[in-house]
Amino acid sequence: MRKIKSLSSRQLAIYGCALVLVIFAAFPFFWMISTAFKPLREIFAYPPYFFPKDSTLANFVRLFEQTRFLTYFKNSVIVSTSAVVVTMIIATAGAYSLTRFRYYGRERIASLILFTYMFAPIMIIIPFYVLIRKIGIANTHFALIMAYTAFCLPFNIWLLKAFFQSIPIVLEEAALTDGAGRIQAIIHVVFPLALPGIIATGIFTFILAWNDYIFVRILITSDELKTLSVGIADLYNATVIDWGMIMSGGMMITIPVLVFFTFIQRNLIAGWGAGAVKG
Amino acid sequence: MQFEKKYRVVLGMVLSFVIVLCGTAFAAQKVVHVWHTETNPLSRTAIANIVARFEALHPDIKVEAEALAWGDLEGKIMAGLAAGSPPEVSHGQPVTCAALQNKGLLLPLDELVNHIGEENIWDQIKKVGKFGDHYYGLVHAAGTSLLVYRKDLAKEKGIVEGPKTWEDFLDIAEALTTDDMYGVTIPGDNLFINILTGELTKANGGILFDDQNRPQFTGKSMMEMLDFWKELTKYMPPGWEAHGYLETFANMYGQKAAMMYQGYGRGASLIEQYAPEHMANTDYFDVWIKPHGPGGTKPAAQVDEEPWMLFKGSRNPQEAIEFLKFFYEDDNYLEYIQTVPIHFFPITKSLRRNKDYLETPMIKKWKGWLDVQQYYLENDLVKPTLIIDWKDLAEKPYLMEILGSGILKDMVMEVTKEDVALEKATARAQKRAEELLERGGYAKW
Amino acid sequence: MKISSQKTGIMLIMPSVFVICALLVYPVSYGIWLSFFRKHSFFPEQNFVGLANYVYLLKDPDFWMSLRYGTIYSFSTISLQIIIGIIAALILHESFRGRNFVRGIVLFPYMIPTVVAILLWKWLLNSEFGLINYFLRTIGIAKEPISWIGKDHIMTSLILISVWEFFPFVVLSVLGRLQTIPPDLYEAAKVDGAGAFSRFIHITLPQLRNVLFVVILLRSIWMFTKFDTVWLLTQGGGAEKYIRTLPVYAYMRTFMYYQAGLGSTLAVIMFGILIAFAAIYFKMFRREEGI
Repeated sequence: MRKIKSLSSRQLAIYGCALVLVIFAAFPFFWMISTAFKPLREIFAYPPYFFPKDSTLANFVRLFEQTRFLTYFKNSVIVSTSAVVVTMIIATAGAYSLTRFRYYGRERIASLILFTYMFAPIMIIIPFYVLIRKIGIANTHFALIMAYTAFCLPFNIWLLKAFFQSIPIVLEEAALTDGAGRIQAIIHVVFPLALPGIIATGIFTFILAWNDYIFVRILITSDELKTLSVGIADLYNATVIDWGMIMSGGMMITIPVLVFFTFIQRNLIAGWGAGAVKG
Repeated sequence: MQFEKKYRVVLGMVLSFVIVLCGTAFAAQKVVHVWHTETNPLSRTAIANIVARFEALHPDIKVEAEALAWGDLEGKIMAGLAAGSPPEVSHGQPVTCAALQNKGLLLPLDELVNHIGEENIWDQIKKVGKFGDHYYGLVHAAGTSLLVYRKDLAKEKGIVEGPKTWEDFLDIAEALTTDDMYGVTIPGDNLFINILTGELTKANGGILFDDQNRPQFTGKSMMEMLDFWKELTKYMPPGWEAHGYLETFANMYGQKAAMMYQGYGRGASLIEQYAPEHMANTDYFDVWIKPHGPGGTKPAAQVDEEPWMLFKGSRNPQEAIEFLKFFYEDDNYLEYIQTVPIHFFPITKSLRRNKDYLETPMIKKWKGWLDVQQYYLENDLVKPTLIIDWKDLAEKPYLMEILGSGILKDMVMEVTKEDVALEKATARAQKRAEELLERGGYAKW
Repeated sequence: MKISSQKTGIMLIMPSVFVICALLVYPVSYGIWLSFFRKHSFFPEQNFVGLANYVYLLKDPDFWMSLRYGTIYSFSTISLQIIIGIIAALILHESFRGRNFVRGIVLFPYMIPTVVAILLWKWLLNSEFGLINYFLRTIGIAKEPISWIGKDHIMTSLILISVWEFFPFVVLSVLGRLQTIPPDLYEAAKVDGAGAFSRFIHITLPQLRNVLFVVILLRSIWMFTKFDTVWLLTQGGGAEKYIRTLPVYAYMRTFMYYQAGLGSTLAVIMFGILIAFAAIYFKMFRREEGI
């Protein structure tokens, strides 16, 4: 009681707002988890139970036994992390080049990159498919990785460019005059300062790749190469809407990602802010 | 340390040997890609078992079976064909089979049909895949649409006879509608609206396209059908257009609706799984023969019978035929059929007479559901989606595009949900369909 | 830096340029080229038709309808995201116990796959067995179950789901910027006797101006071309007609009518609208240099 009294009305209001926010953002997840642990007959019970009465793991058992969930999960991990690595390397090099070197056409390249930002997957999916087919990499993870790299690159270069711009060149020059090579200067001076930005771009790429639906839908035909999004969507399209299994699948996809992001969110907000805001 | 090093070298050698071995083994294997639409876990398992047995008999062939959702299948097949890498065999809607055959993209399945024995296959089944003298598709299993109703509730209201006409049906729907029970539920998604449009048009003695391929959407039959549909919505859940096919089943076994017009045998499995145990039988959920419209005299239903198709340009078509031959052997086919026994009406007479088949518990329990399907099939009362007359399959290869375009669905929505006048909605659909056919070069009027 | 390093600079930018040209610029150009053809989506049949596709679409009532739905959808989702996003960011900028936890939670919706978000909401909004209808009926707001994915409410549901899914992006961006506003600005204002609201209007908003400029631009582009969220909600269900936005219509023309020419034309028109929007937007709001 005493503790509550010591809270000012302003703080109470803040806690109230925060609570509303948490409910708005997280209640659907609560319901997903609750459904995932309910036996079949409880799922359709009316009035619904908030918590499962006879909680069961049967939904998860079905998910692992009757679907290729683990394969989809593995594929998602492979594709998303590869896309992150490839994009980060290309984008960092590109952004560094755009901020630290002068050459013919630099500005034009910068505006081209900004321009390609407007491209949405739906606008290029057909020609993209034709191209991928011509190269002969349709129905491979490589095609997906390239697609995500291409899609994230403009945003990532742009964000990192703002980051590199905010790092004074003087610092690098000082390192260079101290006798360090350029590579060393980059590793010891630029990278640590740009790290939040690099992490932010990595996360952006990861989310896009992890969540993508349309590229997988179009580019991948084999079941064993599908990623989670399409795998789970197909559970819904299957001949039975097994809400328990779908929700347990949704939970399995979501929880690892959320745990990961909750840990690094401080970094995330800092990186996102300092970079994206610059424009 | 020493030991570890040695161990590593040996392990490395063994590994590389295994890799080389696997590499050559795979190189020698012929891969057969099989796409099917039975995504439910039981059927997938059955197919996996059949594949495993087949591969054991044919170590040089590897079968990659993949279950695809209905909605994706057409797009996937087209994309595969365009990429020059179609699967060896795939399921598909009969109209898709017709369209692809028309473009010369399929290989004949005559060898398979002869192997099974042409006389062993139900006559109705043969009409789906036969173009000219050749079979370009062979149905994997048939399942007709069924009018499912709650027998207990009908009894309470003193209804013992099924509806003969649409009028009767509306009366029954009205009688069964109560405060917490809708009279009837039908799916509101594109495929099923197309299915129902075709089926009701046939039941009303109408046609959808004439011999010049001109749409007949503004005719009397269509108007009557839309009127019926609109009347029906009075007894349906108000948000029926949001219900997929599976949700209508949920309405049924969840005791929210008393009848479903587009039921299928698959529903029996769902009822067994989800309805309260004492209700999961034909005393509560039974089927009636469907009614006909004012312009028709005979009932009509749709038949869900997707043919296997064999693709030109695929790598190993001969091996694929071998697999299909194996698939239709009684033991294998039975295992497949038994995964959804009430929905999968076997295409071979031999299996329908097979003792093990008849002993399947579900088949004994839901016999009435299968009898109605057999009645429809034997009396040629069922047609595939959007097919009014069997010759449509060969002569109207554009039905696949009509189905995909959603023109008919939009028309039904305008009439039932937006209160657009019949004349206006049908005229708009007519115009859109005419444009589609003109652009596709099918117009002969 | 040194001119001698020009080569290094070009070498470093080459992979980016190559990927962007090969995988973005080329497909888009090919798409524009396709818009002048009548082409089957998968078969090699194609005829040059000039501007006929564009003329056809301008006369096509479905096109105008999808433009209308698309505009309603993007306008409402963007405004709601911005408003809710700013409010949430302001709350999360305050210090209170468990703040980091709440910050983490608020990002949830943006992190989960769209497919999961849609399935989850479909389950919540299910007319017969869904939790939302149960609530509404229990507290007496609704007598009959509301058909959230039916004709009358599907646009509302779609907007709700989209705002829920994407507002964390605004929170992230705004919160990041809030953290870089020097606290002395507020201290000075407090000394001057400015109230909380006035501090928000006179200090916070101007500081957020640049980030909001970018966020609104990005979200507009992304919402206007949003496909998966919209498509997955119905996947061809009956009420699909009432949320058939431009991207969905383009997809349908290409993959269901098999008219790749018309599908590409729709994509080009969509692109044109975005460019026009961006040009006007820049002219109206951009003051500072350098992007």
